[in-house]
Formats: sequence, structure tokens, C-alpha cells
Amino acid sequence: MALAAAPGFSAAAPSLPDLDRNAVRRIGQAWRDSHPEATERTLSARLFPAGRGPEALPALRAAVAADFRAGRIFIHRGWRLSDTEGALFALLAMET
Amino acid sequence: MAIIDARALPDASHLEADLVIIGGGLAGITLAKELAGSPLKIIVLESGGLEMEPETQALYAGSCVQKADGAKDRPLDNYPVQSRVRALGGSGHVWGGKCGPLDPADFAERPWIPNSGWPVTREQMQGYYDRACDLLEIDRFPLKRPTTTAEALQPLALDDEDGFFPAPRVFARISGRADKPAFDRFRTQFADAPNITVYLYANVVRIRRERDIVTGLEVACLDGKRHTAKAARYVLATGGIENVRLLLASDNLGNRHDLVGRFFQGHLTYSNDSDTQREGSAFAASRAAPLDLYAPAQRIAPHCVIGAGLAAQKRMQTGNFTATLFRANFSNTDPTIAADTQTLGKGAAKLDRGQDQSNLLGFFAMTEHFPNPDSRITLDPDQRDALGTPRIRLTWVHGKKDFEDLERSIDGLANALGASGEGRLCWSLRRDELLAASSASRHHMGTTRMHRDPKKGVVDINGRLHEARNLYVAGSSVFPTSGIVNPTLTILALTLRLADHLKSEKKAA
Repeated sequence: MALAAAPGFSAAAPSLPDLDRNAVRRIGQAWRDSHPEATERTLSARLFPAGRGPEALPALRAAVAADFRAGRIFIHRGWRLSDTEGALFALLAMET
Repeated sequence: MAIIDARALPDASHLEADLVIIGGGLAGITLAKELAGSPLKIIVLESGGLEMEPETQALYAGSCVQKADGAKDRPLDNYPVQSRVRALGGSGHVWGGKCGPLDPADFAERPWIPNSGWPVTREQMQGYYDRACDLLEIDRFPLKRPTTTAEALQPLALDDEDGFFPAPRVFARISGRADKPAFDRFRTQFADAPNITVYLYANVVRIRRERDIVTGLEVACLDGKRHTAKAARYVLATGGIENVRLLLASDNLGNRHDLVGRFFQGHLTYSNDSDTQREGSAFAASRAAPLDLYAPAQRIAPHCVIGAGLAAQKRMQTGNFTATLFRANFSNTDPTIAADTQTLGKGAAKLDRGQDQSNLLGFFAMTEHFPNPDSRITLDPDQRDALGTPRIRLTWVHGKKDFEDLERSIDGLANALGASGEGRLCWSLRRDELLAASSASRHHMGTTRMHRDPKKGVVDINGRLHEARNLYVAGSSVFPTSGIVNPTLTILALTLRLADHLKSEKKAA
């Protein structure tokens, strides 16, 4: 199906492709359901401690791998995602 | 020498040979082929004719129920009839032709799996696997997989510590489904050998013995004729269910330690489609190159499944596990589910590999069915077939560990794929849905298991019954553990091993 692009996401995470806005909201909300304390500020600090420049993606990739190695998993509709990915979707949802 | 209809023999005929093979399926035929042209006079007794016939097929009828921890019992009463073929060539008539060897881990004794371990190793079986491949006219399976530089054929870059590996599968054309003329040659030409006679419609209904020697066979035809057969040695090769039935119907032959029929193992495949709440079993691959090694364009092309090697099993404390990837059409998925799946996949592909799109594939999972003495075949003395033989009751049990290990293996693979940047796995089946969502294979294993100790196995390392020194068992009923791969290639490899033993035994005599 044709997905509605969400141009605002490029500001949040420059290297991420355009993503379906509603899907991002659903995934982000699912993660937040088990992390009600998370805020935009805390998530931004966790995911982008060195800012959102070109170095952000390798750092996120390393965090994702570490999550999987440690079994820090977030499950959405059966998909096994890393906790970092869940947090990223939550932040993207908050920022739109 | 010939293929003869046993119904055309005079009633009460007496057949004699050096070796009688009971059952003209792939195991029995392979054994006869290997002994063709030898000094041994060989008789093959086959229950059916050249093709499937309802009256003969009905001799399989029995009951079957699957039981699993936390699930409603699943009756599969047609399973005994539908899962085998009673005709010359056996279930090769409907075999899909998929071949692969058991993994080295399948032969290993694994302390976390009770009753695991074979008395032979994969290395010791390699030569027999090679010969079985030659017989089926397929490429051999080397112990070490050859490498290739083709991008689409590169294996998933799972870390060594994960212990997952690409396990090869190929398809033989010598099956009734793939190439009937080739299959017909395979199952009949061996009977041209001067030392071999095949009798069709010849049902062995009883094995006679005196102490530890088999003294003869009672043979019945559906038209009412009765014959006898006698040989110096006998090989029982009627399949993982019927081998048990004939032994138990012959005054519990081989069952001194109550093992015949126990440890029934059968493969299940697990997968599900999506619904309005969840995606089905799927893999979102993060690499741009197609995964032709695992999901070729043609379904029956050679491919690999993702297998759990010994290191992975030890780390996860599980048994063997495979994920089979395939190209799937996801167009019927609920739009909301599809949007979530596409978005998750895009995000993963970007994080993993800097790609903008993921490659969505379907997958089904298989796990080793653990040897369980409560999973068993018994006889129902109140239900008999047209020849008077008691029908079977199959109680196919999946213990708590079977499903726990499946879930642990799924999680382990999902973590390995995510950590290696290869993609994300979707698995949405709950424990109580597993049995209903599974598909039963036609693989029947473990019911006359091989073990050096007569208290732990029905046959010895050579396939000889511990209780009868001139009766051997061929086929998957001798498997101590089931692995995952389709058992046919291993059945043939073990049969070739048995053929060598019978030849050497004759020489020694």
C-alpha cells in the first residue's frame, strides 16, 4: 500500500527514511505503554547523546546490537525489536 | 529375477531364500539394490501392488491423537492411512523429494536432552550419505559447506558465537511426484537381478520365532490365500509405524524392555498468517541483495534453511531448530498491520545496513521432537484389519520442553539476526496456539530405537534386534532422535550401512 510520508522525521533522525506517520505513532505508543515515564527530553538524551549528526546512526546501530545481545527486546505485533528501536519510534512519535 | 503377484501362487506356498526383506519401500528397495548380483538369494515381500489401491491402503487404518502441554488434544484419525503408501516404492510415491543429512549435532549426546545421542557419528555416516546421494542422483553433502562469491548466495552474516548456520536442502527427482518414469525404474529394475524376487500383495502378518531366532513368516493375501516364508536372515522395513505393529503383533517380539513403539517422534512445522492484530511468521531482511541461498525463486530449488548448530543448542539449552525462509505474497495483510510491518522493516534496514527498504519473507519453524517414552504406538486388540492384525493407536505427545524450546529458539534466532544487523523476526503464536497452528509431517521415527544397551534400545548398532539374532530393522524407526531434516536420505544411508554389514556377516560366516 502507499504509505503517507512523514517529512518531519528527517529532523528527528536525519538518516532515517520517510516512515508512515500513523505506523510510527502506533509503534511508539506501544513502546510507551510499558515506559510511561519516558519523555521527549529523556529519550532524546538517551538516543542522541552526541547530537543528531552523522555519527548518530552508527551509535544507534551499536545500541540496537547490544540490546539484542542482552535480550532487551520490545515486541510489537509479533516483531522482535530492540528496546532502542522502540524508544526511537516513541521519540519520533512525540516529535510529530 | 521377477516381480510376482503372491495371489497367483498356489495357496499355502512356501518361499525360501537367504534373506527376506519385509517391505518394498525405499529402505527395502535400497537394501535389495545393494545386494543385487550377490550370492544371496533374496525375497522382497511387499504388501501392495505396483500402485496405491484403497483396499490395501486401508490396512494402515488406526487411530491417532496429538497431545501437547496446555493444548486441546488434536485427533488425526486418518493420519496412519494418509501418511504412508502401501505399494512397491512405498511412500516414495508421494515423497516430495527433499533431501538433507542430519546435522553433526543430531548424532551427539546432549546432556540437556534426555535420551539423546546416536551410537554413530555424522563423520562415520558421511560415506553412507555420499552413497545415498549417488543412489538418488543428487549432489553430495560435504561436512563443510563450500563457499561462493555470488552476492545473492551469501549466507546470513550471523556471528560465530550465535551458532546458527546454513543447512543445505536439495530435491531428488526420484520420487513419484517429481519424475514418475525415473521413480518407476528405481523401484522395479532391481528385480531384474537373478538373485532377487519381489512378491506383491504379500502381507507379513506374523513373525515366528523360537527363543532368539526368527524361524519364519506368515504371509497373507487379501484374497484369502496364506503362504509362509523362511530365510536365514530377515530385514523388517515397513515404516516407522508398521515395523512396530508387526513386532507387537508377533507376541511382542523385541519388547522385553517395553520399548517397542515408545519414543515416537514426528516432525511438525509451525507458522501462521497475519490477522487484524498481529503479523504472521515473517522475516524482514535488512540487506539489499536477495537471499537466494535461503529463498530461491523456485520452491524446489536447492536452498539452505537457518539451522541451530551444537553451539547454539548448548547456549540456548535447546534441541535442533530450523527456520525455512520463503518468498511470500503479503498482499492480503490488513492495511494497518502492513503499514506497521513496512515501517518496522524500513527502520531496521536503515539502522542495520543503511538501506531504505527491507526485504520481507515468510518463514516456518521446525524443532526437533524430543524422544519421549509416552509418545507411543500401541495395538488396539478390539480393532483388527481385514487380515486379522490389530490396528494401531498412535498417541503423539509433545511435552512442555518441546514448546518451550521452540519459543527459546525463536527468541535466540531473532536476537542473533538483530544483533548481526541482518533483520527482524516476527513470531506471534502463543503457546496455546502452537499445536493447532502446526502441520504434521509424514515422518515417523524412533519407535524401534538404536542403542548399544538392550535396556535402552530395540536394535543394536547394526540395526539387529537385541532379542533376535537374525532379524534386522531398517528405516526411520531406528532413529534415536529425530533431528529436523526429512529422514529419507538418512534412511537410505543407514540401509546402505546395513547392506555392508549383511555382506560382511555373510563373508564371515
